[in-house]
Amino acid sequence: MAADPTLDLDLAAVTDESRRLSASIKPGTGKWDVIVVGSGAAGGMAAFQLATAGIKVLMLEAGRMLDHRREYRTMEWPYQSPRRFRMPLDHRPIAVAEYSFLDRPYGNNPAYDRFKKVTSYAGNTFTRNWVVNEKEHPTTGTPYSWVRARVLGGKTNFWGRGALRYGPLQFKAASHDGYDVDWPISYEDVSPYYDKVDVLLGCSGTKEGLVQVPDGIFQRPIKLNCVEVAFQRTLAKMGRHYIPGRAGVTTDGLLNSKYRTRCMGRGRCGRGCDISAAFHSPTALVYPARDTGNLTIRPYSVVSEVLLDGATGRAAGVRVIDANTREVMDFKARVVVLGAGTLDSTRILFNSKSAGNANGLGNSSGLLGCHLSEHLMGPRGSGFIPARIGTEPTLDDGRPVSPYVARFRNVTDRHPDFIRGYHFQGGGGAYEYPSMAHDLPGFGKAFKSSVRKYYPALLSIGGFGEVLPRKENRVMLDPETKDAWGIPVLRFDYRFGDNDLKMAKDMADSAEEMLKAAGAENIKIDREPLPPGWSIHEIGTARMGDDPKSSVTDKFCRLHDVPNVYLADAAPFVSGGTQNTTWSILALCWRTMDYLKERMRAGDV
Amino acid sequence: MTTRAVSRRAALRRIGAGAGALTLLPFLSDEGLAAFVQIQGTRAAPSLKVLSASQYATLEALVEAIIPADERSPGAKEARVADYFDLLLSEAPPAPRRQWLDGLAALDAESTTRFGSPFVRLDAGQVESLLGDISRYEVAKARPDEASRAVTRNEQPTEKPVLVEGLFGDLSRLDPARKTPPLEAFFADTKRATIHGYYTSEIGIHRELHYKGNQILAEFVGCQTQDGKDCPHCGQKA
Repeated sequence: MAADPTLDLDLAAVTDESRRLSASIKPGTGKWDVIVVGSGAAGGMAAFQLATAGIKVLMLEAGRMLDHRREYRTMEWPYQSPRRFRMPLDHRPIAVAEYSFLDRPYGNNPAYDRFKKVTSYAGNTFTRNWVVNEKEHPTTGTPYSWVRARVLGGKTNFWGRGALRYGPLQFKAASHDGYDVDWPISYEDVSPYYDKVDVLLGCSGTKEGLVQVPDGIFQRPIKLNCVEVAFQRTLAKMGRHYIPGRAGVTTDGLLNSKYRTRCMGRGRCGRGCDISAAFHSPTALVYPARDTGNLTIRPYSVVSEVLLDGATGRAAGVRVIDANTREVMDFKARVVVLGAGTLDSTRILFNSKSAGNANGLGNSSGLLGCHLSEHLMGPRGSGFIPARIGTEPTLDDGRPVSPYVARFRNVTDRHPDFIRGYHFQGGGGAYEYPSMAHDLPGFGKAFKSSVRKYYPALLSIGGFGEVLPRKENRVMLDPETKDAWGIPVLRFDYRFGDNDLKMAKDMADSAEEMLKAAGAENIKIDREPLPPGWSIHEIGTARMGDDPKSSVTDKFCRLHDVPNVYLADAAPFVSGGTQNTTWSILALCWRTMDYLKERMRAGDV
Repeated sequence: MTTRAVSRRAALRRIGAGAGALTLLPFLSDEGLAAFVQIQGTRAAPSLKVLSASQYATLEALVEAIIPADERSPGAKEARVADYFDLLLSEAPPAPRRQWLDGLAALDAESTTRFGSPFVRLDAGQVESLLGDISRYEVAKARPDEASRAVTRNEQPTEKPVLVEGLFGDLSRLDPARKTPPLEAFFADTKRATIHGYYTSEIGIHRELHYKGNQILAEFVGCQTQDGKDCPHCGQKA
């Protein structure tokens, strides 16, 4: 095999550090007030809020530490890799959905290549060391492409950077259309926390005054390139808003962080931003929290369950299986905060089966695992914008996110076929790889010059539609299958519903409508939904509410049944709107931690 | 191996490295750098894993016919796309590898039947005629109305989709309604891998496409109309 340093990154230093840390941190080696499970957006924010308030925190990360300087390889050119970032088949840890959906060769299906997930995540050389191997982490039941990252920072190392707020249309969705229930909190409750997150972490965007996606405290926005301006002008005539993408990226710099630098316009942020202009939990939250001296991080710590003190009805701590040594140990603390990701936090609760909790901890309502929701992806469209056909390419992709078509369905009107809505993300111009070449016919000089001709003109948008929360869309523990650490895996029972599929049809129709209105050439429309889970925006499996009979947590994301267990991730979300979830996880978590700190100050825990 | 003697500085010169390569260099082993220079260096002899010298020569002619040198930039041959194929082949599962090699042999057989000589010896007109016939269907079906035959999937299909494995991946999307002739499938597979190999090469990205990104910018500029000016790039007015 040809030597390919982009494939065989030397991780000895960071795995050594991880082993050293996990060997030195055992029950009894320290005293902690709060255990935080996970180190991504949720775990990172929880630890940051608590540690900076002087609270002693033990963070348990199932994967290893991160060598971000070495592992974030933002500017590598494809020709620096003999394989051009493709990986030999046996080197794929997973190929996201393919393992569940397709026979070998995993991840070599161009139908999926087109959506970049394969080449952007498990199938490429940049992120393959972060995402889990699905053979060690199987799921059962209906297919669900569940992307998990077990490494410090979790999925924030390669997240899409879409930093969008939920607004009144999400928090009070039921009041708007009569379906299901409202959140027990309102936009006014969360808005101050979105503001704080914007200021702490940096958010780029423009003030638009749109109720469907409220404005924030923005840093310098990302400009539109030529094809996008043409598209924006078309959409404006249709009364639709095509706005600069809102990115969880500091474009003006941050005075509060020694780990982060302002955006330098290189693009390629999904490989990890090596100057941490993009928000990644390690540099933005975990390292600053560690610098307080109040945070202990134990890597290789797979949490199997929350331990319940039968006498008090409170959590006593958590059980950890060391990912390397398989040693089982119980860590104790006054409070447990779960931020393992919506589905893994749910799984931990299910697996916490003490006396009287045969169906899992916090599940007296029987609703744990129900109401799984996310965003339907797949319907999308592309075409060539005439103004740029045959022109010399400009620098079009030096920015963290592409623009955004704000939701336009069921905002002020009411669509006859479906409730809720969707947005599009996407843009165009001369990206490094001319993916449209695969759609151009012929060969020879004519083919080569047609690639050149259309290269600057491509515009492509993809939809994100709200999947209606439904009780019957759920996960549960599989009674037989276990993961590599002997922990029962999740069984999915999740399907897109009638409303979701009608919305998907409209997504494709409106993509076509907009591209036609823009006079685009060679319009291609994809109508088929991608597999469930593709958005990586899973929410809702421990929904919040005021009534313990119809919800799992209270409005501060605390289990109704166990007063010292909090959820920091998106499990308590009631409905998901169309917005990417990360910024809401960060804001809600901050709010939850403020509440927890107040309870601790008052001596309640 | 002479490439091992290439100094880092010389290697950098050879690839015309910018800031991007400089940030990468500390992480490149000498061995990795040597391999990297070898794949980039246009004069280095190929170190073949799977292909014979004559297969390599045929492949070079084929990829150059798909993406040839023109007045703007060198073609797939100089971009060493054939070397990339050899690496792909060496790591491909046995079935698609054999299928692809059979396709290459079939191309030569077709060429010999028609013109009495193997592909590598065909003149430009003969190549045009042969590949034109093989790819005629692809050209004819260009710009299909995909919307009219889109299928909405909800449940997992009871039968897994039949995968037609190509060297560069699944070919089953070529045209579900039609059984693709082997030589046509071979051409589609080869064209896809050629596109990928060429447009990820230094020649493809910089000299052909004039791609301008992956640079450190003070600020992303975008369309000039965003700054209230008429844009010289797209002709749109402020």
